[in-house]
Amino acid sequence: MHRKPITLFQTLRFRLIASVVSIEIIMLSLLVWNNISIIQATHTDRLRDTATSMIQQIARTSGNYMVAVDYATLEDYLSNIIDYQELSYLVILDRDEHAVIALGEFPVQPWPVQETHPAQVTDGVFDISDVITVAGQPMGRVLMGFSLSLMDEAIRKSRTRGISIAAAEIVLTVIVTVLIGLGLTRRLGILAVAAQEVGKGDYSIKIPVEAADEVGRTASAFNYMVTEVSNRTQQLEAAESKSRSLLAENRNLVHTSLNVQEEERKHLARELHDELGQCITAIQADAESIRDLSRDGDSRIKTSASAILDVSSRIYEVVHSMMQRLRPGVLDDLGLVEALKDAIAAWQERNPGTQCLFNVSGDLENLGERINITVYRIVQECLTNISKHAQADNITIALTKAADGLLLAIQDDGKGVDLSIPRSGLGLVGMRERVESLGGEFSLDSREGDGLSIMISVPLSGDEVQV
Amino acid sequence: MSVWRWCVDGVRSACIVLCCSLILVFPVLAATEKNESCQKNSPLVFGVLPFISAEQLVFRFTPLVNYLSENLQVPVRLETAPDFVEFARRTHEESHYDILFTAPHFFTRAKQKAGYRLIASVDSPEMWAVIVVPKQSEIHVLQDLEGKRLATVPPLGLATLLVRKTLFEAGIDPDVDLDMVITPTHDASLLSSYHGVTDASALMQPPFEAASEKVRDSMRIIARTESTPHIPISVAPWLGEDCAAEIAELLVNMGSTPEGKAVLQHNRFTGYRQGEPSIYESLNDLLSR
Repeated sequence: MHRKPITLFQTLRFRLIASVVSIEIIMLSLLVWNNISIIQATHTDRLRDTATSMIQQIARTSGNYMVAVDYATLEDYLSNIIDYQELSYLVILDRDEHAVIALGEFPVQPWPVQETHPAQVTDGVFDISDVITVAGQPMGRVLMGFSLSLMDEAIRKSRTRGISIAAAEIVLTVIVTVLIGLGLTRRLGILAVAAQEVGKGDYSIKIPVEAADEVGRTASAFNYMVTEVSNRTQQLEAAESKSRSLLAENRNLVHTSLNVQEEERKHLARELHDELGQCITAIQADAESIRDLSRDGDSRIKTSASAILDVSSRIYEVVHSMMQRLRPGVLDDLGLVEALKDAIAAWQERNPGTQCLFNVSGDLENLGERINITVYRIVQECLTNISKHAQADNITIALTKAADGLLLAIQDDGKGVDLSIPRSGLGLVGMRERVESLGGEFSLDSREGDGLSIMISVPLSGDEVQV
Repeated sequence: MSVWRWCVDGVRSACIVLCCSLILVFPVLAATEKNESCQKNSPLVFGVLPFISAEQLVFRFTPLVNYLSENLQVPVRLETAPDFVEFARRTHEESHYDILFTAPHFFTRAKQKAGYRLIASVDSPEMWAVIVVPKQSEIHVLQDLEGKRLATVPPLGLATLLVRKTLFEAGIDPDVDLDMVITPTHDASLLSSYHGVTDASALMQPPFEAASEKVRDSMRIIARTESTPHIPISVAPWLGEDCAAEIAELLVNMGSTPEGKAVLQHNRFTGYRQGEPSIYESLNDLLSR
């Protein structure tokens, strides 16, 4: 099997690593982004809540000091609050918006615009204010500024920590995935190479089972499969060899049988010609003599002699016909083409409703006894079958001697046969056996209602050409 | 003749028009002049003695301050002090308050030391201090207080002065025979015995009457002191006479308008009357103790 080279991007190793790493990067990025958002929201909400809570507390508790104009005590009280780390400044305004207490790094006037959420801050300080009331009456205002530096630092640390953890996880994932991918694909590669070797017929290969995981189990199954395939292949090869041997023996047997049959036919025809023919000829001669001698004598002798003459003629014709079927003498005397013409003409006389066209091409002399009798018998069998079953109007028989062999094509326009239905007769089997015994090929093609054609090719070699 | 008559009639008509114009314009001019007199000291600081908590004080006196501010067309600011001593110091040393709402004996001292002028008094019967105990208490008379804990306002408070005088007159030395527990306000004094921190409480009768019904009904008065004139309202010495008169007029006539009546009702006062400095001279003896 030809192995196409694959690019890096087509490799399972690359796709596995790229997929896992991509998913890891995407998911961890989303996770980090989500965490950072939550951290930012948590910190800003906490600062907002803390600031709101503190300023409300101060606004509610400072009123008594404001109405009592007890700023010193109020400042002592607020001094404890200014120590809060995130608090940048704290200013208490009286009812005239005059700063009566100012703690921390308070801004210069005009007083900063109040912000409702740390997310709105642009100058790094979250400015909020609230009205100081006593019994619902405004007594002043409290301004507070909360520095975002600590919150930003905490968020930055959280972000850095989150990104570091994500990066470390990505690196670890890449390393682990690469190692697993390399191990997995290396073993899969071994499997692929082993499969190719098995495909080439090398059943001796064994894959080392390195682990009891899925790939290891696959390797074990592969080894077991190779062993089984090897055993089955050996069994099949043995059976095939045996079949070939039996087939060869059968063919030899058939070949021998056909030869014996032909020899027997030939011998029988010769015996009929030599023995029975001579006897009949002698009987006819004697019967003619008796008929001639009794021309003026008893008419009954003449009649009997004529009857003997008629019977002997009839016997001669029967014997001659039998001799032709057993071994056409014209085949030996005039060759294959003349014998076929003679047989076709005789068949044509018996089947005048069917036109048979016989074409010959090439030098068909000296084809050899075996080829001659085989071709003759096949044509003879085909004509017999056509007359029995085909109901054909036209038959074409073409015999061609080509450079590499002898070709015989017989085609009729009869009703044809369904080749998928097994045939019970031995005619076709006998034809195939005769051809294959000569090393040739026999093919049959037919469809119901569309006639039947038989193609035969027989190799011609020096051994086959016998005069 | 006709010319003469025409001239006489013309002069008469002109005089009538001038008089009518003066009659119509005068109140406006007068009002403008009054407002301008108070605006010299804008905003006016209305100082109230911290006899109750700041929350209660703001609640009780905000309507009065707003009433004065609206009618004077001058911002009036309510202020108090952390305690009696600081209030007295600001009054005597700084004359910090333009309008002074304080205890009668404090006014006497403010008049003497800082020149505050009386312009009105709360038009109610005299007031006094009371000594109260929880209803289930076994203390029924002053003598039962011996060895007990008596809550009172700071030493300079009128209630403390009156109670001390009463105790002395009953043969009880408050510095020896019982334990005087000082609380910052009348409310605090009352609640200390209400919650059982002390055995009895001394406070002025108006704050006791203004206490919540639940607290007041659970207490029993075992003694009352001598009476004193009611709360005086005075003004700082630098405040002009016109402005002072305007403020006094607003206070005295407060009951004549629906808004003024509502303010008086909120303060549980029946009204204000012209101030008579002489009625507060009797407090000099109390201060001398």
